[in-house]
Amino acid sequence: MRLAPLNERDTMSTVTLNGIYKKFDETEVLHNINLEIGEGEFVVMVGPSGCGKSTILRLIAGLEEVTQGEVLIDERVVNMVEPHHRNIAMVFQNYALYPHKSVRENIIFGLKRAKVAKDIIEGRLKKAAKMLELEDLLDRRPSQLSGGQRQRVAMGRVIVRDANLFLFDEPLSNLDAKLRSRMRVEIRRIHREYKTTSIYVTHDQVEAMTLGDRIVVMKDGRIEQVGTPMEIYLNPVNIFVATFIGAPAMNIIDAMLYLGFIEVEGQKIALNNRVEKIPVPASGRRVKLGIRPDFFIDEKNTEHGASLSRIENALVDIVEPLGFEREIDATIGSQHIKAKLDLRTTAGEGEKITLCFDMDRVHLFDPETGMRL
Amino acid sequence: MHKRRSFIQNIMLAGAVVLLLLFCLFPFIQILSTSLKYQFDWGNPSLIPRKINMDAYRELLGFSATKEVEIPESIKRLLDNPLLKEEQKQKILERYSSTADIFPFARYFINSFLLSAGAAAVSLVLAMFGAYSFSRLRYRGQKIMQRGVLFVYMVGGVLLLVPLYQMGVKTGLASTVWGSVLSLLLIYIIQTLPVSLYMLGNYFRTIPYSIEEAAAMDGCSRLESIYRIILPLSVPMMVTVFIYCFIIAWNEFLFASVFLRQFPDFHTLPLGLQSLFVSRNAIWDRIMSASILTLLPVVICFMFAMRHLTGNLVEGGVKE
Repeated sequence: MRLAPLNERDTMSTVTLNGIYKKFDETEVLHNINLEIGEGEFVVMVGPSGCGKSTILRLIAGLEEVTQGEVLIDERVVNMVEPHHRNIAMVFQNYALYPHKSVRENIIFGLKRAKVAKDIIEGRLKKAAKMLELEDLLDRRPSQLSGGQRQRVAMGRVIVRDANLFLFDEPLSNLDAKLRSRMRVEIRRIHREYKTTSIYVTHDQVEAMTLGDRIVVMKDGRIEQVGTPMEIYLNPVNIFVATFIGAPAMNIIDAMLYLGFIEVEGQKIALNNRVEKIPVPASGRRVKLGIRPDFFIDEKNTEHGASLSRIENALVDIVEPLGFEREIDATIGSQHIKAKLDLRTTAGEGEKITLCFDMDRVHLFDPETGMRL
Repeated sequence: MHKRRSFIQNIMLAGAVVLLLLFCLFPFIQILSTSLKYQFDWGNPSLIPRKINMDAYRELLGFSATKEVEIPESIKRLLDNPLLKEEQKQKILERYSSTADIFPFARYFINSFLLSAGAAAVSLVLAMFGAYSFSRLRYRGQKIMQRGVLFVYMVGGVLLLVPLYQMGVKTGLASTVWGSVLSLLLIYIIQTLPVSLYMLGNYFRTIPYSIEEAAAMDGCSRLESIYRIILPLSVPMMVTVFIYCFIIAWNEFLFASVFLRQFPDFHTLPLGLQSLFVSRNAIWDRIMSASILTLLPVVICFMFAMRHLTGNLVEGGVKE
């Protein structure tokens, strides 16, 4: 069934996923996915390999069929709409360039097929080529390009289109760190320029934090948490999100929660108001204490009189200088913790250090379910 | 790491390769040599003719001048018989008037070419769609169909000959010239279709599916992506399949000998060769030159296929 284009260029698409399940043969890879993406939003779906994020992207694109549930684009159910009728542009992880066509022909293929006027095609091609530094490469074939150049061609193919929705399937995964950093900026610039609703899939949490207006964290076919980068960074809902987002990962320490205090390797730490509300039996409760390495401060560098909690006598194992800060690997009792301290820290390997932190930055998790208390 | 071969080993390897080549090529060299020899040279075991003779080629290709052939006395007396009808006299005279039509190469060539090219073209078109469905689509019975086409090769041509001809007779096709040609065309298509399906199917599987998905995202329907993406990328394999089918049909003798037997004007080159072998004009130089002319198009096809088929056209499209 041929439908009219889903939307005009002036307004961008919204995407809604209602109760999506997806099975491949007997294996269920997506379980009850519910998500709403607003007009012009840049949403990043992040998670480990095999968590189902690319599958969601392909369902939205129409490249896979939904087992159960609805995919809505601009509040229209598109489950039965063919991919070539959805007016979506997509960057594939493996570029998927047309090998028999030049860079120019690759980029304008969709426009030529849609019989867009020649002068419009030329104008968009010129703009995209300039933005992506492809001007000198337009007559080359994909086999004559490097990986980074091919990826830029794949992006050029997307940005010249009259699409209301951009999909990016791990577009930077095959690039080196420097190029990846540069391309992140380009993607951000493209989004600022075109303001097209974009869904970006990656396994790299740095890309997720730097690119997304909102992040969707996924694991094993389920959405763990949706929120802005800072919401997810500061208030993860469970241990998985807490450790997946942030580099280095959040420290998760075994502890015992009692009325009024928490005990970590024999050290008692007073609770704050927020933590005091957690129900605790008289005999105490096992918990996992989570705190990000960034939130530790060397006691020697704290202001006199500052009311901070502290972990004392942490034995420094490894010190990794990172330019303007140091990453410390330490042990307290039998547990390892990481801390990111500033240059004023002088503790060396084998020395003991007292780490201070704000109790408000601490999260407590249930050791059985992993959920935040 | 491979051990480097010694000088002796290299010599032995080269010798073995030369022997193998000679073994394969010798019959063709012998054919060519005999076709260029005069009659006095036929008994000469040397492969190089003492004197090059192009007369056989000229006669077969129709470039020689019309010859007056002497009519034997006994035949002349027979022709003087007043009881002999004019038609019968003409028929007898025709056998002695000219040798220009011993092997009407041009006619046989055109017949063979049209039949082979037609069968190859139809087989290619059908195989394109069939191979695409085998390699890209998922539907019930796909595996059975994919393997089922091989049944064609499980029964030899000789066994199928009689039942197929009976079918042609019962349908009335075998009794008309165009019906026979159509029957033969269908047989050639069925003979070449399975191998075409397999060759193209395997090739389509090497084209990454993400390229078609990219075309879908660019607005192409499935048919459009076949036309705009798959086919241009498959040109080398399509040429190969066409040539392969062409050669199979070109060399086919068994079915042509039955279906076209009664229609001499529509004989193919293999049939023409066979007629030449048993005719009064079965002279060695003519037989051999006719064989060379028959196999020449096949050699040209192979040389074309080897020279013009380029390397992997899909290179660069996706990350390896």
